Amino acid sequence: MKRELQAIAVLLVFGVAKLPLEQHLTQDLRKQKMLEEPLQLGVGENMGQMGLAASLGGLRGLAASMFQLRAHLEFTHVNWAKVDSLYKLVTRLQPRNVRYWEEASWHMAYNAASHYLYHQELKPALRGQLYHDHVKRGIAILEEGLKFLPDNPRLWQKLAEIQWHRSKDFKQAGDAYWNSFQHGGLNFTERFAGFAYAQSNDPESWRKGYAILKRLYDANKSTPGLVEFLKLLEQNLHVPTEQRIPDTAPVRKGPEPQAGPQR
Amino acid sequence: MSDTPAVSVNHLTKVFKGTLVKGAFRAVHDLSLTVKAGEVYGIIGPNGSGKSTTMKVILGLLKPTEGDTSIFGVPSSEVASRHSVGFLPENPYFYKHLTGRETLHFYGSLCGMRGAKLKERASEMLELTGLEDAASRRVGGYSKGMLQRLGLAQALIHEPRLLVLDEPTAGVDPAGSRKIRDLIIEFRSRGITVLVTSHLLEQMQEVCDRVGIMAHGRMVREGRLEDLIAVENQTEMVLENASPELLAKIDALVKAESGGTKILRSGHPRTTLERLFLEATNEAKKS
Amino acid sequence: MSNATNSSIAEKQPRVRFSPQRVWTLAMATVTQLVRMKILAFLVVFCLLAVGAGFAFSVINPEQQLNLLKSVTLGALQIFSIVIGVVSTALLLPKDMEDRTLYTILSKPVPRFDYLLGKLLGVLLLIGGGLIVMDAVLSLILWLRESMVFEDVVTRMRLEKMDTPEAVAQVREIVARQGLTWNLHWAVWAIFLKAAVVTTVSLLLSCIASSTLFTIIMTFCITIIGHGHALIREFFFQPHLSSAASRVAALLLAAICPDLAQFDIVDSVVNGEIVPWAAVYDITGIAALYVTVYLFVTHLLFVEKEL
Repeated sequence: MKRELQAIAVLLVFGVAKLPLEQHLTQDLRKQKMLEEPLQLGVGENMGQMGLAASLGGLRGLAASMFQLRAHLEFTHVNWAKVDSLYKLVTRLQPRNVRYWEEASWHMAYNAASHYLYHQELKPALRGQLYHDHVKRGIAILEEGLKFLPDNPRLWQKLAEIQWHRSKDFKQAGDAYWNSFQHGGLNFTERFAGFAYAQSNDPESWRKGYAILKRLYDANKSTPGLVEFLKLLEQNLHVPTEQRIPDTAPVRKGPEPQAGPQR
Repeated sequence: MSDTPAVSVNHLTKVFKGTLVKGAFRAVHDLSLTVKAGEVYGIIGPNGSGKSTTMKVILGLLKPTEGDTSIFGVPSSEVASRHSVGFLPENPYFYKHLTGRETLHFYGSLCGMRGAKLKERASEMLELTGLEDAASRRVGGYSKGMLQRLGLAQALIHEPRLLVLDEPTAGVDPAGSRKIRDLIIEFRSRGITVLVTSHLLEQMQEVCDRVGIMAHGRMVREGRLEDLIAVENQTEMVLENASPELLAKIDALVKAESGGTKILRSGHPRTTLERLFLEATNEAKKS
Repeated sequence: MSNATNSSIAEKQPRVRFSPQRVWTLAMATVTQLVRMKILAFLVVFCLLAVGAGFAFSVINPEQQLNLLKSVTLGALQIFSIVIGVVSTALLLPKDMEDRTLYTILSKPVPRFDYLLGKLLGVLLLIGGGLIVMDAVLSLILWLRESMVFEDVVTRMRLEKMDTPEAVAQVREIVARQGLTWNLHWAVWAIFLKAAVVTTVSLLLSCIASSTLFTIIMTFCITIIGHGHALIREFFFQPHLSSAASRVAALLLAAICPDLAQFDIVDSVVNGEIVPWAAVYDITGIAALYVTVYLFVTHLLFVEKEL
């Protein structure tokens, strides 16, 4: 009996003494990006999230993969609502996985939106409406993903692409490309930020775009496209002739040598 | 022989704690016994009389509630006491996946033996217990008697001075049982002390120097076997090829004798069923 | 056989000390026992699964294929290690007792601690060996897939005339990150550590449990609670969230369960995070602490256990 009591005592004393250590270690590992940060979603939601994590043990990644496969199946069946809801689950399980956000938004903003746009059986007005709704959904998914991964250049880049190609919102696209570049995105995102700003209707954005493109031009990093957009901006912004670039502006030969850091 | 007893049990009481459903159970009550070095001591008694519990306490597998036990003077509570003892539990099982030889190597190396010495000793034990042919077979396929003999071999692997055998012949066929009893007799001749329990009385009779009879957790009778079973006022005479006339003469002689002498019974002595079985099976083997 | 010699002086036997050789003997017997119980058939299942996950889903995007391969196989590794750890530990001790093998072992000069440690070490060796094999298989398949996926993507980009060096470099970087890196092995190490902790808990429980089923169920309960340990701590450390009674309950629960979520670096590794040395030290250290303390508690429970 004596030994049993000793055992219980050791278990409890160690148990209580280890709590601060575990708390500290967990925070440490979170800082090192080894463990998920607790999600800032309010207490109720947070408990739900952690409860989910607990009940799945260390198998959240596996569960997410399985749901993603199911989502892929639904995609081949063109069941967009199901694809969306399955990806919602996948991104909830693995909110720090960039690709899941990327893929979820791609399905909505490209696949689903185009599907409705070219759906012959629907009335034209409805087609346009559904197209816009799904593009918006794609954007919303990326914006939610950016709450978890605000520093991720890839998510910003994907957002920019949707804004540019799908919603034709060039001001937003420019901002997103710029954010991508600021967070260590590929070099072209800087140039594309300039291009996007150049195509917007907003003089303030033109000025931002001009600043970016001119700097690249001065740094001898211009491309044919860059020269074209720069000339457009010079015109729009009424840049004095003497400050404008020459008509036969030098264009950098060959592709850009390096892709730049990626996160 | 040593003055230190091989086993000493002093006022041993063992009570198993009760649970919510059943009350406490007193398995052994104020038991004292001493096994001298070099003798074969049998504890006999019906099932549930406390024999196995006593053995487990001696081996340190159970803790005494009161009293103490020791092996060659070393308290059973100390692991060191197990250096000089080998134990064969009732119906032993071994790791089924090991072969007979591997089993002996396993137990030997638990006792700190290794290398050539261990291999040699294992072979010696296999030979002694007649298991050489089965040495490379998995224990899972052994018969009950073979398991029992392997149990003996593992008990002896580290050359203990004391062997504790719990119901060594229970459930073993007569030939296997005979073999085991012969081994016990051989151990005694080699100076190994044996403490053996059984409820098969006639088998114990043959091998034990001394016996203790246990019932309800107490020792009810103890002593040298001959002393316990001899009937002092009777004499036995077995004749071969005696004619009826001779028998009649003897009968008349006895009747003529005064002082209460009488013939209680006469007739053909019977062989034991065991002996008959052994002879018959041996004949079958030879033919 | 030599005649036993009996000295007439008071018998003095050397104290029986902890012996690594004895522990190793017990560990190897445990490994042999488990191997011959065909427990490692799981390895074959795993290899099929890995090949399946690696090559079956060529329809989804290439990066996602690597990701899927990793999360499926690492998930399988976690299940393998924990199930083997819990079930074999829960089975071994009661089986030894039932078969009286324990009697023959403990009636030899074998301290009970050596026996416990030998059993634990045996199970851990088996899990460790299994994980090494599976890690090797996974690494091989990942390495093969990595180059195949890269070639695939580049070919496609070339067809679409999108193979600018910048874009190719981006793909190379992404694929390399999703492919075979050292981080993968650290994830496997973390899986091993978690399994070691859970196995020790299972050993502890099997010392007090009356049935194998009870041990298995209780260990799985503790494993689940252990993954939600951070939640329970949160509950305890934030007084405004709960009543005093539920805080005491939370404290008790947090005290008796290990925090297993600390070892869940697998998801981060699958996502391509780089495992720093500090994290490796941290998880190794805490796992060693759990195993040591739980083994000590197990020893306290087992040392005078009536057999």
